[in-house]
Amino acid sequence: MKKIIITLAIFILASVAGYSVINAQTDAAEIMQKSHMAYFYAADDGVADVTMKIINKKGKERIREFTMLRIDLVEGGEQKYYTYFKKPSDVSRLTFMVWKNPNASDNRWIYVPAVDLVKQISADDKNSSFVGSDFTYEDVSGRHWSEDSHRLISESETLDGKETYLVSSTPVEKYKGFAEKKTWIDKTSFLPLKEEYYNDKGKLVRVFTSDKIETIDGIETVTQRTMENVKKKQHTTIYFNEISYNTGLTDDIFTERYLKTPPRKYIK
Amino acid sequence: MNRMIKLTLVALTAAMILGGGSSQAQELYLNGFVEGLWSGGLDDRNPTDRDYPAAETRLQLRAESYGDNAEVFAKVDFIQDGFDSTSYDWELREAYLKFRLPIDIDFKIGRQILTWGTGDLLFINDVFAKDYQSFFIGRQDEYLKAPQTAMRAEWFTKAGTFSLIAIPDFEPNILPTGDRLSFYNPMNVDIVGSSGYMAPVEPDNSFDNAEIAFRYSRSVKGFNVAGYAYRGFYKEPRAVRMIDSTTSELYFPRLNVYGASLRGQVAGGILWLEGGYYDSRKDQYGDEYSIENSSTKAFIGFERQVASDFTGNIQFQAEMMSSYDNYEKSYDGYVAMMNMMQPGAPVTPKTDETRTLITSRWTKQLASQTVTLSLFGFYSPSDEDAYIRFSTAYKYTDELSLMVGGNIFEGKNPQTMFGQFDHNDNLYVKVNYGF
Repeated sequence: MKKIIITLAIFILASVAGYSVINAQTDAAEIMQKSHMAYFYAADDGVADVTMKIINKKGKERIREFTMLRIDLVEGGEQKYYTYFKKPSDVSRLTFMVWKNPNASDNRWIYVPAVDLVKQISADDKNSSFVGSDFTYEDVSGRHWSEDSHRLISESETLDGKETYLVSSTPVEKYKGFAEKKTWIDKTSFLPLKEEYYNDKGKLVRVFTSDKIETIDGIETVTQRTMENVKKKQHTTIYFNEISYNTGLTDDIFTERYLKTPPRKYIK
Repeated sequence: MNRMIKLTLVALTAAMILGGGSSQAQELYLNGFVEGLWSGGLDDRNPTDRDYPAAETRLQLRAESYGDNAEVFAKVDFIQDGFDSTSYDWELREAYLKFRLPIDIDFKIGRQILTWGTGDLLFINDVFAKDYQSFFIGRQDEYLKAPQTAMRAEWFTKAGTFSLIAIPDFEPNILPTGDRLSFYNPMNVDIVGSSGYMAPVEPDNSFDNAEIAFRYSRSVKGFNVAGYAYRGFYKEPRAVRMIDSTTSELYFPRLNVYGASLRGQVAGGILWLEGGYYDSRKDQYGDEYSIENSSTKAFIGFERQVASDFTGNIQFQAEMMSSYDNYEKSYDGYVAMMNMMQPGAPVTPKTDETRTLITSRWTKQLASQTVTLSLFGFYSPSDEDAYIRFSTAYKYTDELSLMVGGNIFEGKNPQTMFGQFDHNDNLYVKVNYGF
């Protein structure tokens, strides 16, 4: 009888513990999904004037200026991005387009005005640097939450006075971008306030911070964000100087025609 | 040049009229660069006038203004050539007006760079003017494309995009003239400098001599598929005629091109395929030795990232001469004639029926993409010749960059595409300040 009770007790305890683990996982995945939507899929479309500063360990600064257009075709799914470069001078008037497919590889095109050439380019490596910055292509357009498994570490951490969920994410398939990512997510806006990227040796390699959050057209938006490369002692800060949402961008703007001739209604 | 200036003025005026209705204030955007290029020859045996193919300072100015549905753009280069006695020159590289009609047609009129096709430094259906001289002496890659004065109309429909280009004045490829770079002259049966250069005669400017190029392209299952047609001339002097019993001249024979291409994502990379038929209109049977035969050309290429900031590609091209039997007969006739005129003198060798070419490009970026290492190689198994381009570029700041590089040519025989440039090996240094 004693044996039976102990076995039963163990069984019940194990089930409860198991249930809460599963529950914590679903909670974490849900939080990450909400966060992904808040950060990458705000409104149905967006236009932003962006300044990017890349500052190396010697304090030397490089600046890129561009306008970025985005349209969401499927909420949480297919998106299209269009980038028009203004500075530096050697890339001015260059345009770049991405059709993002969360479940397949993206399509990328570049238009080089000096030779009037539209070219589809290889988009296999989402982990490569975006225009030489510390942000990768994936940091700019988002890594789908279903590619990682998530675990809620804490619900009681505060960051800069804000209550956060702290979630740990590990790639489902081996990924060279990171082995583990810790994300601090604001409990009210669901925006990521901070991310830490660890390599497979458990070493911190990159740190993301949301430096400034503003409400634009009623949507909470990270208007200044920094990615620090810990090893290189270099960081990149992106400033969103002007953002507008639900501008009425249409799908046809994300085509070769507009790659060659920028839509001046949106790009000044 | 006068004509170009007029065209620019017309374009600017039109833009002001078109842009006048726009709500925005018209702003003029200006930028450009200053660049110094020094290129030194590596071969003392080179029969060129210059020991160094380039020693020049270039100022490029770009100006742009636009409204909602129209834009004007101009790009002018001012060049100070430091060879021998210093001379100055300028070139209007681009000066065009672009505007949009409500019926989904975009027009681009004026001096412009024209490009289409899928190859990486290989061209079949891209029949627009190239500047190989600039390409071989270390100028920026964009100078390979020579500007032309043209009108382009592009009609965007659900069924695909129709592009039509009309070029009223013929402009040839810019090839070595013996001044900066030596080349092979079949008459001399040797590599020559400027003394062996004969300026070819361009077609007259007439309505019938206008070049017309057409493309239809659309997306099919994620692939960009295109068909092309061209009516014009060979961009290189591929024909010779006698003006009287002792003098001959080189000219650009009539050419039509029909072709197709495909480009899209395959196996984590990009695959492209292009083919075309070069129809030599004045030598339909291939029996005219003095005019280039028709030919069929095709290439296939594949590119992918092999690591972060490291991309590689490979291309394979084959080119087959039409009516080779007739070419051989006409060649034999040419040899017999030459033997009669100058017994025992060497005669240029016969061209092979098939020419094959393999190319490969490797690009690696380092230090947050501020350093770019680049290698591009051409190798022809049939011609047994090769051409290697390599460079290292360093962006010291956003504005200031430094590049060192070289062009190396090798060939078993002097009459082949790259073999003829064997003495032109060069190394160059370039400093660029953008503003």
